[in-house]
Amino acid sequence: MKSAFTAGKLFGDRQLNFLLIVNVLVVLVATWLSRGQFVDIDNLQSMGGQLPELGLLALGIMLSMVSGNGGIDLSGVGLANLSGMVAALVVPRFVNGDDSPALYTSLFCVIVVTMGLLGGLLNGVVIARLRLTPILCTLGTQLLFTGFAVVLSNGASVHVDYVDPLSNIGNGTVFQVPIAFCIFIAAVIVLGWLLKRSPFGLRLYLMGTNPKAAFYAGIPRARMLITTYAMCGVLASLAGLISVTHTSSAKWDYGNSYLLIAILIAVMGGVNPAGGHGRIICVFFAATVLQFLSSLFNLMGVSQFFGDCAWGFLLLLSLAFAGGERVRAIFGFGGGAGASNAASPASSTPKS
Amino acid sequence: MKLTRLGAALAAGALTVGVIAAAQAATNETIVTVVKVTGINWFNRMDDGVKQFAKDNPNINAYQTGPGRADAAQQLKIIEDLIAKKVTAIAVVPYDPPTLEPALKKAMDRGIKVVTHEADNAKNTMVDIEAFDNTAYGAGLNERLASCMHDDGKWAVLVGSLGSRSQVQWADGGIGNAKAKYPKMNLVEPKLETNNDGERAYEVAKEVLRKHPDLKGFQGSSSLDVIGIGRAVEEAGMQGKICVYGTGLPTEAGKFLESGAINGIAFWDPKLAGIAMNKVAQMLVDGKTVENGADLGIPGYTKVTVAKGPGKGIIVRGQGWVNVDKSNYKQYPF
Repeated sequence: MKSAFTAGKLFGDRQLNFLLIVNVLVVLVATWLSRGQFVDIDNLQSMGGQLPELGLLALGIMLSMVSGNGGIDLSGVGLANLSGMVAALVVPRFVNGDDSPALYTSLFCVIVVTMGLLGGLLNGVVIARLRLTPILCTLGTQLLFTGFAVVLSNGASVHVDYVDPLSNIGNGTVFQVPIAFCIFIAAVIVLGWLLKRSPFGLRLYLMGTNPKAAFYAGIPRARMLITTYAMCGVLASLAGLISVTHTSSAKWDYGNSYLLIAILIAVMGGVNPAGGHGRIICVFFAATVLQFLSSLFNLMGVSQFFGDCAWGFLLLLSLAFAGGERVRAIFGFGGGAGASNAASPASSTPKS
Repeated sequence: MKLTRLGAALAAGALTVGVIAAAQAATNETIVTVVKVTGINWFNRMDDGVKQFAKDNPNINAYQTGPGRADAAQQLKIIEDLIAKKVTAIAVVPYDPPTLEPALKKAMDRGIKVVTHEADNAKNTMVDIEAFDNTAYGAGLNERLASCMHDDGKWAVLVGSLGSRSQVQWADGGIGNAKAKYPKMNLVEPKLETNNDGERAYEVAKEVLRKHPDLKGFQGSSSLDVIGIGRAVEEAGMQGKICVYGTGLPTEAGKFLESGAINGIAFWDPKLAGIAMNKVAQMLVDGKTVENGADLGIPGYTKVTVAKGPGKGIIVRGQGWVNVDKSNYKQYPF
C-alpha cells in the first residue's frame, strides 16, 4: 500500500477533484468578470488575510468530527474571542508595548495559545472522562467562554494597544503573503502530517471509524479525545490571535456567524460528521472556494444573501457529486446499494 | 458528463452576475454604503436613501451593501473586499466602531474617502455624521412633553441602559431643559434603567405609576421604553391622562399611538442619513469639506454644526430628528 504518488492516486479522490474544479472555475470566472481585478495583488492579499480565521476554525471542527462518536467542537468562536480578550487585558499590565514590543508580542501569543489549550483541555476532559456528548459539552463551554468574555469586558470592545510586531500578525505580509495566511498554511501542513503520517492520525481515524474495534485494538480513547479537543482549542486560539491583531480589538460577539460557516466548510471538504473520514487538503480547498465566492460577490456588489444562497447550492452540489455514500453518512439514509465502507460500521454498531 | 453539467450551471450563474456587474461598471466613481446588517427595516429605509442619491447623481455608482448576519467580522470582510476593489469612497455604519479602525485606516492610507455614521468615537474616519446633537434631541422631546403636561406636574425619565452614552445624553438633555424652563415640572424619578428590554420597561413603568398615582408624564430613551410605558399606561386605563414621549420606531409604537397610550415619538430617518453620508462622501471626493453651518440640502441637515472628532476627522451634526404622533406615523414604514 505504500506506493508513491501516482497520478491515479492523486486524482482518485472525487471530493478533491470536485473542489479543485470548483476552485479553478470560480477563479477563472471571477477574473473574467472583474476584468483581472480579482487576481490583483491587493485582492489576493485581502483574501489571504480574511481566510485564516475561518479556515482555522474549520480545521478544529474537522478534527473533532473525525474523532467520531458525534464529535464536534461548537466552542471554537467563543474560545477564540475569550483567549484574545484575556491576552488583551492581561499583557498591558506586565509589559509596556512601546518599550519592549518583542516581549509584548511573544507574551501576548503565549497567553492566547495557553488559553486555547486550557479551554480545549476542559472540553476534552469533560467529553472523555465525564462521557458527555461532545455537542452538549461544547455547547455548554461555548456559553461559558462567551459569558466570561462578556463579564471581563462588560460587553464592550477591549482595545489592543498598537504594537508593531503584534499588529503585523494580523495585518502584515512577508514577501507579499499575509502573515496570517502563513500561520494558516503552517497549521494545515502540521495537521496534514499528523493525520496522514503519525500514529496519532492513524489511531484517530480508526477510533472515528469504529470506536469498538479501536477499543479492542488498545487505543487509549480518553487520551486520544483529550489530545484532539486540546488541538481544537489551540486552533481556535490561533484564530483568536489573528482576529484580535487584525482588528486591534477583542469583542465577545466577534465572528458569531462563523460557527455555522466553519461547519459548512468542514462538511463541504468531505469530512464525515459521523467520524473516521476527512482530508485536510479538501477542507483547505473548501475554505478557499468560499472565500473566493464571498470576495467575488463583494467585488461585484451582489447581495450577501445571494452569497449564502450560492454556498448552500455548492454544498448540495458537493453532496450530489460525492455520491450516495456520503449522503447516507450524513443523513443516515439514501444512496445506492453499491455504496460501501466509510460510515456504515459506526452507524450499524448495535447499541448494547 | 457531470462535469459538463456542473460547468454549465456555474457558467450560467456567473453570466447572471456578469450582467449585473457590467451594468454597474459603467461609471468610475463608486461610493459604497456599508450598513450593520441588511434585511432589517431600518437599513432597508437607508437603502431607499442611497438609491435616491444614486438616481439624483447618475454619474456616480452608489449602492448599499452589508452583511447578511449581524456580525462585526462579516462587516469587516466586506470593507476589506471594498478596499481591494479600490472604490472611491466608503460610507459605513459600523457594527462596532473599534473593530473597524485598522481597516478604515488602511482604506484612508490608500486614498479611499471614509465617512461614518453613528460612530462619534471612531478615530479613523474623515467625517462622522450624526443625525443630531444628543442634548438638543432630548430637549426637543422634553419640549413636547412639557406642552402636553401644560408645564406642570410630576414626571419620570427612563433610560435603556446607563452605560449607553447617547441615551443618557438624551435623558440629561430633557432633564436640563425642564429644569431651566419649567420650574413647576417636578422630576420624581430621574433615569430609571430598563436594560433595553420592553418587558423590564413595562415593569418599571408600573412600579412608577404605583408609587406616584398622580404622575403626569414619562420620557423614554431606548426605543423599547415607550413600548413598555405604553403597555403599563394602557393597562392602568390612563390614556390621555399621562403624557408619554420618547424615542421609538413607528412600526413598533404604532399600536400605542393609535390607542393614545403614547402621545408622540421621535427618531431620525435612516433614509436621510443615507443621503447625507453619500452627499458628504461626494463632497470629499470633489476635494471639498463640510463647513460649520453648511446646508447639505437635505431636510434636517440644512444647518449642520461641525466639531472635532476623537481622531483627525470631524463630526457633523444635523438637526435631523423627526417628530411623529398619531396623525403622521404611517408615513414612516420602519
